[in-house]
Amino acid sequence: MNRITVPALALIAIAALVAPSGAASKGPAAGKDVHVGVIADVTGGAGVYGTPQKNAYELANEDIKSGKIDAGGANLVFDVQDAATDGAQVVNLMQKFTTDGKTPIVLGPTLSGEAFKAFPIAKGANFPVMGTSTTAEGVTAIGPTVFRDSLAESQVIPTTVKRTHDKWHYKTAAIIYGDDNAFTKTDGDIFARELKAAGVDVVDTETFHIKDTDFQAALTRIESKHPDVIAIGALFPEATKIIQQAGKLGIKAHMMGGNGLNSPEMYSVAGPAAQGVVVGAAWFSGAKYPSNVDFVKHYTAKYGKGPDQFAAQSYAAAQIIASLVRSGAITKDEMANGLKNVKVIQTVLGPVGFDQNRDVKSSPVILSIVKDGFAYFH
Amino acid sequence: MIAQQLLNGLFLGAVYALFAVGYTLVFGVLDILNLAHAAIFTAAAFAAYSLVAAGVPLPLAFLIAAVMAGIIGILLDRVAFAPLRARNAGTLVPLISSIGVAIIIGAILRGIYGVDERHFTLGGVDTGTTIHAGPVTFTSVEVAIFLAAIALMVGLSWILRATTLGRRIRAVAEDRIAAALLGVDLERTIAATFFIASSLGGAAGILTGLEYNSVTLDMGGPIELKGLAVIILGGMGSVTGAVIGGFILGAVETLAVAKGLSSWRDAIVFGVMFALLVLRPTGLFGKRALRAA
Amino acid sequence: MNALIDFYAKHSRLIDQIGVNAILALSLSVSLQAGQLALAQAAFMGIAAYVSAILAMNAHWPLLATIAAAMLVSTAVAMLLALPVRRLRGVFLAIATIGFGEIVRVFANNLDALFHRTLTGGAEGLSGIPNDATTPVIYGSLALVAIALYLLSRTKFALAVALVREDEHAARGVGVDVGSIRMLSLALGGAIAGLGGALYAHASFFITPTDFGFARMEQILVWCVVGGVTSPLGAVLGATLLSILPEVIRFLADYREITNGIILLAVILFAPGGLASFWRGGAVRVRL
Repeated sequence: MNRITVPALALIAIAALVAPSGAASKGPAAGKDVHVGVIADVTGGAGVYGTPQKNAYELANEDIKSGKIDAGGANLVFDVQDAATDGAQVVNLMQKFTTDGKTPIVLGPTLSGEAFKAFPIAKGANFPVMGTSTTAEGVTAIGPTVFRDSLAESQVIPTTVKRTHDKWHYKTAAIIYGDDNAFTKTDGDIFARELKAAGVDVVDTETFHIKDTDFQAALTRIESKHPDVIAIGALFPEATKIIQQAGKLGIKAHMMGGNGLNSPEMYSVAGPAAQGVVVGAAWFSGAKYPSNVDFVKHYTAKYGKGPDQFAAQSYAAAQIIASLVRSGAITKDEMANGLKNVKVIQTVLGPVGFDQNRDVKSSPVILSIVKDGFAYFH
Repeated sequence: MIAQQLLNGLFLGAVYALFAVGYTLVFGVLDILNLAHAAIFTAAAFAAYSLVAAGVPLPLAFLIAAVMAGIIGILLDRVAFAPLRARNAGTLVPLISSIGVAIIIGAILRGIYGVDERHFTLGGVDTGTTIHAGPVTFTSVEVAIFLAAIALMVGLSWILRATTLGRRIRAVAEDRIAAALLGVDLERTIAATFFIASSLGGAAGILTGLEYNSVTLDMGGPIELKGLAVIILGGMGSVTGAVIGGFILGAVETLAVAKGLSSWRDAIVFGVMFALLVLRPTGLFGKRALRAA
Repeated sequence: MNALIDFYAKHSRLIDQIGVNAILALSLSVSLQAGQLALAQAAFMGIAAYVSAILAMNAHWPLLATIAAAMLVSTAVAMLLALPVRRLRGVFLAIATIGFGEIVRVFANNLDALFHRTLTGGAEGLSGIPNDATTPVIYGSLALVAIALYLLSRTKFALAVALVREDEHAARGVGVDVGSIRMLSLALGGAIAGLGGALYAHASFFITPTDFGFARMEQILVWCVVGGVTSPLGAVLGATLLSILPEVIRFLADYREITNGIILLAVILFAPGGLASFWRGGAVRVRL
């Protein structure tokens, strides 16, 4: 102890000040630059979904610098590029990232339809990509380098139907879904299939178009058939209005929906009518995983509102990539192999891995809307 | 159920009508389709939201935001239409410049407000009192919005019929050159037209925002094309026609859904519009009713 | 040479998009030059895209056969559409054809439910379309369209089209069958849009009804007007520059969207006759 000189003590003190709170480890990729391409619809029609994704990656960039996300000492950066909800731009960005010689993996795009246009390009270049919000069926079947960390609706809705049916024992149901959007159309189809399989009589099916604001005509018709439960295939801008207008019309049927309803603002926007609405989802903002508690806190502090599922799945993708980089993956082939061999990575979504179809392996959470957000549905 | 559906259609139609009245007024006077009308609709809703959030009482916020929308309308004309008018550039080119302005307004709104939906009141819509009258349910807020829309349209009709400004607007709509020869100040009359049209479009945006307690960047999207259907139903340039067209659209949409045809709703709306254009291009209420309004 | 190959490897998708977009702009410019503000190009394009994709995927037709069939169908649809709208002019024609486009989009969304089988794939789209519209195919098609339009411009048909555009009464007076000229120009536009649509499908892997909605129509119209509605050259120029623009101004990040709008507005205000008018000395004005 005596032998420690004053300069040495000063060094230690400085080191302690400089050392990041999370104390990043020194991995095989330490000091290397890793440039990850991100394609997100920050502007245009899907801006409301792409912007939280961009926010999440910006937060991740900060957290890597500060060591909260451990990238093994590598300079891991997520380069978010806006595709403006334009399929042509998505395609051009995918080609740019796959040919620039410095990008080992691409995350995104935001919409499944965009993924169907862009992922085949990655497949042709034998280049790894990971969707974080592309939930349609068949996305990962595009090619052996296509992964996703987002639970497909087909992984979420069957559980939602089963759990609600076990609890409520309903006999009749109505479905309302958006028929001009891949996500909501899939919802409608899967609800119809699962409800039928559960022996429930679907007494009415109504459709709407994305960006509609008035659902009272459809809801009035639904109410005239007196269903026990209403299944909603919608994203949250439409879902909040459906729930709120159902409340206004005095509809008492139970309501449920999928990932699209998993927004922190459901209750505050839709109001008391949202109380008790059941939401099957890939992520729970109140989940107690350490990184999730941190993520929700820091995201809220940085952006003035809580993260939604789009943000959470993007942040989880950043955590997954960081974990690959930590173990030394910095080229496209190393990334692809890394993803194939992932066992379990701790993320804000909980522990995740990938199955043999390169879809995320994690279980849906069934939530119920309560006054200050969501609670587990029991 | 049918009574409730008709009421749903009536409330929906009032806002369609208010939006379309401004749309058709500009067309009647200038023969141009102003595709920035929906962007002004949205901008006014955001302005009203900001004012309410800053503590301004709602009626005053409504008034200020509608006036702001009117001023944006005048600016729109000066920037995007007046230079082209001076060069006699036809009707197609202004259509494109109005698309340019719409993109700019959208980008500015996104810069200020971000992409998140905004709400006048949290904790659900302040629906006022819910009223159950026999087979129908409605709220006092819906009634207030309906009455406001009707009052604005009656006001416009009065301006066009009974004031000097109204006579000038009608004269310019009838024949721009003749009106100028008779001493009507063209540019001022056109500016007034844009102010009125845009403040009404803005008012429609604010009322829509209030009705659904939701203000979003793309709230003008669906109404942009439906507005076209409305002004066709009523006869291009006809203010009365646009009002009635708005209510017809509200009723057609609601009844299509009520009959279980929700998937075909928009095809029915545009099918009716198409058929009417082909069979009766002057609309249901004859040609250029603005001139006789 | 290596630099060129490298450039192509990095930008081939954009290069292909430009070719397809130029064909689409040409298709609209054909009806605009006949004085018809018919805005159904996105619908023709969509119909052709679905026809060619379905034939390629379900019946395994070769590329050229699917393109031919798609063009045949889109031409037929354009001719059928021309009948009811024959009396409509200007903005009325524009709105009627926009309405037609919306109806087509609703059908694309609902066709499968109507027939209880997979045709268009509805909102979920049609995935896995053979990606065989290569750059030579696309630019070969563009060249063929350009040559055909050039040859056509030297015929009496082009003269009649110009007459109908400038003054229908005068055209009738000298014995021009105005109705036929209008229908033929719409049909020609439909055929070219069909070519563009089929190529689009075979260069995109995937199509969905939103690819062919009003936003697409607006885009094609903007290309034409920015380039200059009076000349096919203008349409190609507009489509080319505006397809590249979003990528060129990508560095503006958050200011990209507003810059896009400002550039569009500035071009229109300073060159109401379109960019092509700059080197031809003054705009030739088409009143539409």
